[in-house]
Amino acid sequence: MNRETLVAADEVTKVYDTGKLEVHALTGVTLEINKGDFMAIVGPSGSGKTTFLNLVGALDVPTSGQLEIMGKDLAAMGKRRRADLRLRSLGFVFQAYNLVPVLTARENVEFVLELQGVGTERAERAMSILEQLGLSEFADRRPNEMSGGQQQRVAVARAVAAHPKLVLADEPTANLDGENAEILLAMMQRLNEEQEITFLFSTHDPRVVNYARRVVTLEDGRVTKDQTRPREN
Amino acid sequence: MRRSISIRYAVRSLRRHTRRTILAILGVGLGCAVCLFMIAWVRGEGRMMLKAAAECGAGHFRVVPAQWPDTRENDFRLADWQRIREVVQATEGGKIVAPHARKEGLLAFGTRVAGVEIVGVDATVEQPANRLVHRVTEGSYLTTGDEGTTVIGRGVAERLDVALDDPLMVTVANAEGEMNSAMLRIVGIAETGSAELDATICHVNLEDVENLTGLPGAGDLTILLDNPKRLEGTVEKLRGELSDDYAVVTWEEIVPELASGVEVDETWTKLTVAIVMIVVFLGIMSAQLAAVLERRREFAVLSALGMKGSRLVGVMVVEGLFLGLAGSILGLVFGLPAAYYAATHGIDFSEIYGTELSMSNILFDPVFKGDFGWWLVPLAFELALSATVLSSLYPAWFAIRTDPAAALRVEH
Repeated sequence: MNRETLVAADEVTKVYDTGKLEVHALTGVTLEINKGDFMAIVGPSGSGKTTFLNLVGALDVPTSGQLEIMGKDLAAMGKRRRADLRLRSLGFVFQAYNLVPVLTARENVEFVLELQGVGTERAERAMSILEQLGLSEFADRRPNEMSGGQQQRVAVARAVAAHPKLVLADEPTANLDGENAEILLAMMQRLNEEQEITFLFSTHDPRVVNYARRVVTLEDGRVTKDQTRPREN
Repeated sequence: MRRSISIRYAVRSLRRHTRRTILAILGVGLGCAVCLFMIAWVRGEGRMMLKAAAECGAGHFRVVPAQWPDTRENDFRLADWQRIREVVQATEGGKIVAPHARKEGLLAFGTRVAGVEIVGVDATVEQPANRLVHRVTEGSYLTTGDEGTTVIGRGVAERLDVALDDPLMVTVANAEGEMNSAMLRIVGIAETGSAELDATICHVNLEDVENLTGLPGAGDLTILLDNPKRLEGTVEKLRGELSDDYAVVTWEEIVPELASGVEVDETWTKLTVAIVMIVVFLGIMSAQLAAVLERRREFAVLSALGMKGSRLVGVMVVEGLFLGLAGSILGLVFGLPAAYYAATHGIDFSEIYGTELSMSNILFDPVFKGDFGWWLVPLAFELALSATVLSSLYPAWFAIRTDPAAALRVEH
């Protein structure tokens, strides 16, 4: 049975015009991301990983080719609709955690729910997510009162709070030590398996690659390898 | 009720740089206080000038013959002036209605002569209504029905070298252009404190002017309102009620040079207030812009998470609102006591101008006082909030232009 396709890229090209020269960040990328994927995009620096993540995250639009996210053509969407798509269907985990420094862990999670228009129950929901992910003890701590690993786990809680179909994680373990990276990856794997949230990582980290069930390699803006590994039980 | 996270975010963002926020609030507060003081001051000054004009014979307004506003000649008389006085008295608002008949004439004593404007009055209402004759330092003011008497200013008395009970010969041109003379006995000498004004005062009973000029009745009815705020409404009402034979003129039309002085003061104050508010506006905008630049990555993250531009503008406006609220409270703390002092104690200009402060035959108290009232409170909020909220809009526009893709870029 075919799984639901969340992202369908067909000959997607992205060119940055820097004025003096054109930089071809992506060239004819054709790829599908399906529901339930736990997928890593790997490749050397400058291979187009972040550009691809930007496009799939509806933060940018392709120069040519067609990119459909949740069945919607990205090129046909305005800024506002793309913001709405990000809010309703996508979650983000950033390399530098990027929690709002003046808000507590719970408020950071709550913020996304508020943006989604969730009413008074949002505090309860935020707390419940933190509890599910074993983060309740950090609920009232601000980012500067948490370690990097704790912040990144809260960032994952924020990313999944609004029940997105797809979570994009840009080098999520780059700033974490081995133990914290393991905890984080295990947590994301659990969310993938239990809640069927799709994860797309851009990474250099072999630990992430080991966890991923699908690994796509980008080189010079092209897909050179797309490997799928069976789910381990 | 739980406070929105966006509002919490805005308020706590102000606490990131406490010193900058305090300085911004201080700037708004001081600017607001200066504006409050200036506005209160000029309002008080305007009110003082209006009061002075009204009480120095111009009245808050006058009913005059229809021809007077164009010619400003004193030979026109109000037809049926006593009925008109009743009409005016019947309109709303406590007031004094003082009839006057004016005529230029010569006063002579022996070989000395002084040209004055002889003002025929109703003695029962004139003295309480006219501050020029409040202080009759020698003798007493006129008595109704006591014809052939006059009250003159100290300056006129000195020029003619006369004293109480001395007879003065008054000469005027009557309605036919013939010279008409009569004798007047000095019953009082008035001192205003201004030598300039003291050299112009010559009051007689209305009947004496009628006899001298051959023109019956009053040339104008000068009206003083208990509440000058009713001026516009009362004037409008009377203009509607009176026939075309009469004109209703306000103090601004009677003493236009004073009115334009008040207007110039108000314009300068508005200009100064505008300059102060622009400085505050630019200061806040600069501080807010710096705050936005520091938070560009944060805004990029929020935008990546799906925060829409309108909400981002909302956050910036809320920050501006809080700065404005705190600034207006500080403005009130600084501005209210200063305005209160200026309204109760006033500022004494006698050292600069002396005690003889007069202009256009209007005598001013050298102690100027500002206005004071609860109206200052909403004004403080209006000034501070408008400056801070408006100054947040450009930084907000800058913030919403942040590229959300910047959230994925790593800062090294």
